Amino acid sequence: MITFNRSQLIEAEFPDQETVRFSGVQEDHIYSMEIRMQVRIADGEILAIEGQMKRYTNPVCPAAVAVLQSAVGVSLREEGWDRRVMREIGRNGCEHFAEIMIECGRCLDQARLSKAVWEALQQDASLNQEQFIEAWAEEHPEIRSA
Amino acid sequence: MTIRFLRNKVVEVEPLPDGSLAVSWRLTDDLLKAEVALRVRPPDLEIVEARAKLERLPLRAWSSAPELIKRVEGVRIGPGLRKIASGLLGGRAGCSLLVHAVLEASNAVILHFTRPGLQAGEKLEGEALIAATRAMLKTNPRLIRSCIAFQDGSPIMQGLDL
Repeated sequence: MITFNRSQLIEAEFPDQETVRFSGVQEDHIYSMEIRMQVRIADGEILAIEGQMKRYTNPVCPAAVAVLQSAVGVSLREEGWDRRVMREIGRNGCEHFAEIMIECGRCLDQARLSKAVWEALQQDASLNQEQFIEAWAEEHPEIRSA
Repeated sequence: MTIRFLRNKVVEVEPLPDGSLAVSWRLTDDLLKAEVALRVRPPDLEIVEARAKLERLPLRAWSSAPELIKRVEGVRIGPGLRKIASGLLGGRAGCSLLVHAVLEASNAVILHFTRPGLQAGEKLEGEALIAATRAMLKTNPRLIRSCIAFQDGSPIMQGLDL
């Protein structure tokens, strides 16, 4: 039998040309958490964030929800952003919140690419998707570390 | 508003009859379908087998993933793993996705071992729960200052000289 399972679900919406809105859920046998955050596409800056802790292991854990606000202003494009999130949100708050935020951050450029492929397919249903992705990756090298 | 991108990720740990652990890490999103399978042998938690498969529309630079993942065979899950996995699988010629997969799969192995202890204490409440958490910290000092519950100002840490 399976003795441990963790599932993550990350969704991205583009409410306007400048912003991406993430919703991330992490469920496992021990913890259950959710993050919603708004990010400026141009520089990856976290503009707003909120979180919910649904299942946790001790009575102090919910105090980590307030710590999330220290992520506002952090850029998901700066060098070492993921280590910074783990340090400032994970260590000072909850590492499972940090794990969801990091997965959202990894999806930033993947979501942009997905949107670009979709829009290109609307223009040309016979688009060579592999070629389009390679060309996009050339123009946006940040995707390789996503 | 419709979702423009959706990623689903699952990691599972399954003990095998020979005492080893099978870890399955899978990711699917609009562009990528990826699977990494590890077999881990206790008690030293050595990764004895590693496989990877990337499908759908992976970057061409990641096409060597099935060969690359073999580099973690023989590596032990423990201190320094982040640096080791990044060194073996990351960098310009590597595949960041495999680094993430190995670290997340390894974390799941640790949580597989953590779960029974948490379940054993889940009927505890209030001061009894805090006392049990303090006892757990004494045997797992790596957790000290790892999160808000174990920072110096936390009620759990009061009276502990760790």
